[in-house]
Amino acid sequence: MEMIGHGGKEIVERVMSKDAALKRVAEMQAAKVKTLDVRLQMATEIIDIAYGFFSPLEGFMTKADVEAVCNNMTLADGKTVWSIPIVFDISSEELEKSGIKQYDEVLLTYTGNPFAIFDITDIFTLDVKEVAMKVYGTTEDKHPGVKRTYQYKDKFLGGKITLLNPPKINEPFTKYWLTPKQMREKFKEKGWEMIINHQTRNVPHTGHEWLMKGAYLGAYGSMMVDKPRGGILVNAMIGEKRPGDYIDEAIILCQDAQGKYGYFREDIFLTTCTLWDMRYAGPKEAIFHACLRTNLGCTHHMFGRDHAGVGTYYDPYDAHRIFSKLPEGSLRIKPIFNLDWWFCPVCDEVTYSGLCGHKDKKASFSGTLIRSIIQDGVKPPRRIFRPEVFDMIMECAEKYGFGNAFVTEDYLKRRQPVFTIEPLQ
Amino acid sequence: MAEEKFPINIWINEERLAKIQAAGLADMCKEVLAGLKVIAVPATAEQRDKILKIFPTAKFDAATTRSIENLPRQIKDQIFDLVIENKSVDVVDEFLKSVEK
Ligand SMILES: [Zn+2]
Repeated sequence: MEMIGHGGKEIVERVMSKDAALKRVAEMQAAKVKTLDVRLQMATEIIDIAYGFFSPLEGFMTKADVEAVCNNMTLADGKTVWSIPIVFDISSEELEKSGIKQYDEVLLTYTGNPFAIFDITDIFTLDVKEVAMKVYGTTEDKHPGVKRTYQYKDKFLGGKITLLNPPKINEPFTKYWLTPKQMREKFKEKGWEMIINHQTRNVPHTGHEWLMKGAYLGAYGSMMVDKPRGGILVNAMIGEKRPGDYIDEAIILCQDAQGKYGYFREDIFLTTCTLWDMRYAGPKEAIFHACLRTNLGCTHHMFGRDHAGVGTYYDPYDAHRIFSKLPEGSLRIKPIFNLDWWFCPVCDEVTYSGLCGHKDKKASFSGTLIRSIIQDGVKPPRRIFRPEVFDMIMECAEKYGFGNAFVTEDYLKRRQPVFTIEPLQ
Repeated sequence: MAEEKFPINIWINEERLAKIQAAGLADMCKEVLAGLKVIAVPATAEQRDKILKIFPTAKFDAATTRSIENLPRQIKDQIFDLVIENKSVDVVDEFLKSVEK
């Protein structure tokens, strides 16, 4: 099966078989190659690179790639669109202590266990302020993406990654984590010719549900209706959390509940997750999401109001406008742009703001109010929240959130990791 | 111009609704979002600041709803009980006194 991803290239998969990995690790250890233990942020992206979520990237970016991303929104080839730097940082002290040099092959470990091989082709520094300005449009460290950029250590390593030891994805995420190749196989199995991606880090209220339904109906177009020829992929971003975010477990299980309880037919609906630390880069992150979902095999991608934004750094529709600046044919996925859905007491339904003429009477799905309702544990009418979804939020709060559906310091300290790297044996 | 008040939203489930109706206070509820009921307990700027200081998790949404949010559920219950007892939404002073004790 042809698996062409972003940039028109075959989906990257750089994962060694277990036997080969065991042999390779033994050889590397015998040769006393340099080793580095990586932190969660890097481990997450190593997994993403190795399974092709970031195709055509085969490793961490070199300086030429980062510069092209910042200056032209492309990779170093000058034509593959790319909007977010994917970098591996290291401090000068660590670099010196490890003795790592250009063209070294380094054994990466995570939580002490063999994890991946890193073929280092570039060692470089970056002006993080310049990167922040060019990627995020601001140098304020209140912006979480900028903050992450400033927290990088002072040196960077670029080069290819090969995974030696696949992650064990822990419950309840296990069945929701599919690699790009697995997702494409799943779509084929379902007979979907059209796959609309819905990006989320929310538990769904009916405003989200209708956003998806609207996009589905709009994109289905003139395809025959004899059998379902298209579906919706809810792809939840699971990664670094900030206090006040929904807990990951609630996001994935509540999204899935929409299919499980029939608000979407199960044969047109699939929930999966991708490991990614949100950068909140607004328009730039929208482009990145489009590239990522191309790799998953999606044909369409929904972009709503203030996609991947934070605070007031971006205009709510900047993430739509940026697509018109891309050269024609540079993406293999079609963006679907949406306005908000709201509840209108005159229409007496959840309706599209681009259709309803009762703007002065509308009730918006304000994030603050929805959060307030969930915090009080008061079940809203089913037209606002599906009861099974709401029950699932409450269940997740008890089971995974230490009594809270939202991330607390306690949750950050005590939660079970989403993935672990076990000893290689 | 009247002084701006900052509401604490008390969402009404069936259990709370039964208590409200028994106390003859059904008129206090406002309907938002497809019939979902809420009682808005108003706080002055000074009261709001005191609440935010006492409850570190609490947040004031200055940008959209201008309401005081993220109060622990038991605290909301306490405020709700005061509303029923006093048959009034003006209970923030009494509430603050009770927690400051
Ligand atoms: Zn209307």
